[in-house]
Order: sequence, then structure tokens, then C-alpha cells
Amino acid sequence: MWYGRKHVLKNINIKIPEKRVTAIIGPSGCGKTTFLKSLNRLIELVDGVRVEGEVLLDGVNIYDSQLTPTEVRKRVGMVFQKPNPLPKSIYENVAYGPKLHGIRDKEELDKIVKEALMAAGLWDEVKDRLHDSAFELSVGQQQRLCIARAIAVKPEVILMDEPCASLDPISTAKVEALIRELREEYTIVIVTHSLQQAMRISDYTAFFYYGELIEFGPTKKIFEEPEHELTYRYITGQFG
Amino acid sequence: MRPEFKDKIMHVLFLVPTLIAAGMLVMMLAFMSEGIGQISWRFLSSSIFEGGIFEPIMGTFFLFLGTVLITMPIGIFAAIYLVEYAPRDSKFVRIVDQAINNLAGVPSIVIGLFGYTFFCKILGLGISLVAGWLTLTLMMLPIMIRGTEEALRMIPQSFREAAMALGATKWETVRDAVLPAAMPGILTSILLGVARVAGETAAIIFTASVLTMRGLPRTPLEPVTSLTFYLFVLLVAIPKTSYKVAFGVALVLFGIVFLFSAIATVIRMYYRRKWKW
Ligand SMILES: Nc1ncnc2c1ncn2[C@@H]1O[C@H](COP(=O)(O)OP(=O)(O)O)[C@@H](O)[C@H]1O
Ligand SMILES: [Mg+2]
Repeated sequence: MWYGRKHVLKNINIKIPEKRVTAIIGPSGCGKTTFLKSLNRLIELVDGVRVEGEVLLDGVNIYDSQLTPTEVRKRVGMVFQKPNPLPKSIYENVAYGPKLHGIRDKEELDKIVKEALMAAGLWDEVKDRLHDSAFELSVGQQQRLCIARAIAVKPEVILMDEPCASLDPISTAKVEALIRELREEYTIVIVTHSLQQAMRISDYTAFFYYGELIEFGPTKKIFEEPEHELTYRYITGQFG
Repeated sequence: MRPEFKDKIMHVLFLVPTLIAAGMLVMMLAFMSEGIGQISWRFLSSSIFEGGIFEPIMGTFFLFLGTVLITMPIGIFAAIYLVEYAPRDSKFVRIVDQAINNLAGVPSIVIGLFGYTFFCKILGLGISLVAGWLTLTLMMLPIMIRGTEEALRMIPQSFREAAMALGATKWETVRDAVLPAAMPGILTSILLGVARVAGETAAIIFTASVLTMRGLPRTPLEPVTSLTFYLFVLLVAIPKTSYKVAFGVALVLFGIVFLFSAIATVIRMYYRRKWKW
């Protein structure tokens, strides 16, 4: 993966387990966001990007010319570092994805929106103000709305890029609880800056360093008996 | 010199120009207020043949209405192309950007001259409302494109990513995530463009208006008179014009331009408070 001439991801070989939470950790600028965006081809929005290699989803390369980015992104949802609701109502934010993919029936949309908001633990807080602007929600609520929006498309994989980075501790706890619940149904890849968070919520952990995958394995093993010197130094806080 | 004294001098030095500027504004307003007595329903609604300014008001309205209808689609589409579709920093975009900047800097009388030669003579549209629209479009287009471009560039990349990540295509992203958020900015640039066009004189002197007094145009191929042009005529062509009438016209013109700018400001403030990103 290159940005212009800059080689950002090198030789990453990883098999992400289905229906598990995989945490990506590593110092700032090591390519975590870039890696995540290459899993749903969002990386292609950046000018001058070049991607080599393949990303297999159910055995099919998502960069295959047979697949459009739209199809890929329907199956691989994403939640961003900063909550980014669309300039629409709460309801419309959640209904937007399903509408894009051809669902028009009002009743069906209502049902999807309700289910997604419930799954995101937001329904009780917003059920009386579904048609208010999404910008009126608190930042923590906005982030859960973004998760609901991703769920509403019924993806197989959800990518999360430091979803708690701009949240307060209470909202963070809510989002973490939510991730633990979603784990049953979705394959989740989450980038996090907080090692504690990785320990709390993930089943597997991958450690990235300067664009390389240094170590990958069950979270317990990575944190208790890492094989690499670098991993050990990172998780013991010797560099950040 | 004692520092305190020096400070006093500087204080005065900065104060005087402020007073001069404020004084000039007050004087201008005082003159304008001469026109207040002139303003009445009769003045606004009766024909220029009866001492009113009905035709110039309607003419100004016709002129900017047509100009906005031509400029809006071209300007908005061009801006969307430049911001959302054209590859960033491509040579083509740089050239177009430069051309737009240059166009924005051309004095309006030169644009008027071009409009006269090209639209009136070469295209054979004559001195007419439609020639006025096309010439004014040249004036408004840079404002429109610049303003819309700016409004689009203000939208954070995260908005586009939000829609894209749900599987929206490029156009769906622009339509659903970018344009609604940029709308207040786009509206503002339309209104500022209108204010500019409504106050424009030089560009229509040769292209849209004639000195003889006449009624409203029946087709876009007939000449039209505007508030600015009528003011110009009052001052240079009609001997012994009462200044009161001239200031009445000026006040109405000022009111229209001010109204559009004010609406633009209100829209911008309203949305800035409503959407924080
Ligand atoms: N659009 C871009 N153009 C060029 N370089 C980029 C771009 N985005 C990120 N980079 C570079 O790629 C590297 C990895 O960035 P990123 O994936 O955002 O890291 P992380 O999320 O781990 O902090 C960084 O060195 C960054 O400077
Ligand atoms: Mg990052």
C-alpha cells in the first residue's frame, strides 16, 4: 500500500477470524487507519493511492474488478474515529444505507431503523425525537448512531477506527459493552489506542509497527507472553 | 519622550482615521436620508413617465432573475466538478481556477464592452434584456463558482467517508452528504452574487439599456432599464433633476442590495449555530 511514493503498509498477511473481535494496536502513524480502510476499499478515495496484494472476503478478492466498491462496502461497514453523522435526521441517518441498497418499503425501513437503534443501545434515548437533526445528539450518542447506521446495512464485517477516541469514559463504556454484544453476530476489527481497551474487548490482537505486522494472536497470549521483543516493549509502555 | 505620552499620541493617531471614516459614512447616510421623503407607494408603483420608478425596479428584478437562472446551474455544476470530480491539483483545475480568478478581476466596464461586442453585435442580440443577462452572468459566475467551491471545500472529508462507507456512489455521496451540508454556503454565494448584479451599472450601460425612456420590455430581446441605469440617466441626461428623486432611487437600490446581503448573513449565522462540525 503506497501513498504516492510513500510505502505505508508492507507485506501484511493476516487472517481475521470470523465472528470475533480483532484489535489492532500500534503507535501513531504506523498504518492502522490505512490498513482498516484498505479492508473496505475506502482507501481508494485518497488521490495517488496504490494497492498491491489482495484482501479476501469469503475467498473472493475485494479488489477484483468483478466487484464494485459499493458491493464491498455493503458487506464491510465502518465506524470512524470522529462521529460523522450525515446532515439528516436521526431516522434518515440509519435508514440511509438500506435505502441506498434498494429498500423502499416504509414499514420495512421503520423496522430496520428500530432494530439497528436498539442493537446500538440508542433506541430508548431517541425514540421520541427520531426526526430531529442528528447533530443535536451528544458526541457519544452520535457515535452510537454511527454504529447503528453501520449495522442497518447488515454487513458481515464492521471496521472501527478508534471509535472511543473522542468519547468520555461513560460513553466509552457504553460503546465497549455494545461491541461485546455485537461480537455474536459480526466480525469486528477495531483499532484502538488504549491497550486496556484491547484487553477488555478483543479476542485477538494484532500489533503493527511502521507498516508491518509484527505479531498477531489471541489477545491473552499477546499481552501475557508476546513472542516479539517489540511487542513486549510496546505493551509494557516502553514506547508509544 | 515619556512612554505614556507616546502612547497617547498613538492613540490619537489611530483614532483620527476612524473618525474620518465614520464621519464619511454618517454624511453619506445623511444624504441618503434626503431620499426618504421621496419614498412612497406612489413613487415605487408609478411609471417613470409619471415621476415614479416602477420600470427600473421591475427591470432590476428581471435582470437579476434571468442572470441567477443562467448562473446558478452553470456555477454550481462547475464548482461540484472542480471540487468533487476533477483530480486534485490537476493541471486542468489549476488553469480553470486561474481563469476564474482573472475573470473576477476584470473591471465591469470591460466586461460590458465585451458583452456589447460579442452578445449584442456578433451574436446579433442587440441591446436587450437577454444580452444584459449574458453579460451579467460573466460578472456573477466567478462569485458563484468561488462561493460554491468554498462551501464544498468546507465540508469535512468525514462526511464523504460516512456516505461512501455505507456503499454510496460518488454522485449519491455528493447529493446526500455534501450538497445538503453545503447548501447554506451555496445560498449565501447566490445572494451575494445577486447583490452584486443588482448594483451593477457599467456592465449594462452598453448591453441592456438605452437612454430613451421606455416601458417594460415585452420580450427578452427588448432593452430594459434598471435602478442603476435610471440613476445614471437622471444625473447625466435629464437636466434639472431633483436630487431628491435621485436619492430616492439610490435609497431603493441600497435597500435591495442591503436586503440580499442581510439575508445571506442571517442564513450563514443560522446554520453556523445549528451545525457544528
Ligand atoms: N492521505 C495520505 N497521504 C499521504 N500519507 C498519508 C496519508 N494518510 C496517512 N498517511 C501516512 O501513512 C502513515 C500511516 O497513517 P495512518 O494509517 O493514519 O496511521 P495510524 O492510523 O496508525 O495512526 C503515516 O505515516 C501517515 O503520515
Ligand atoms: Mg489512525
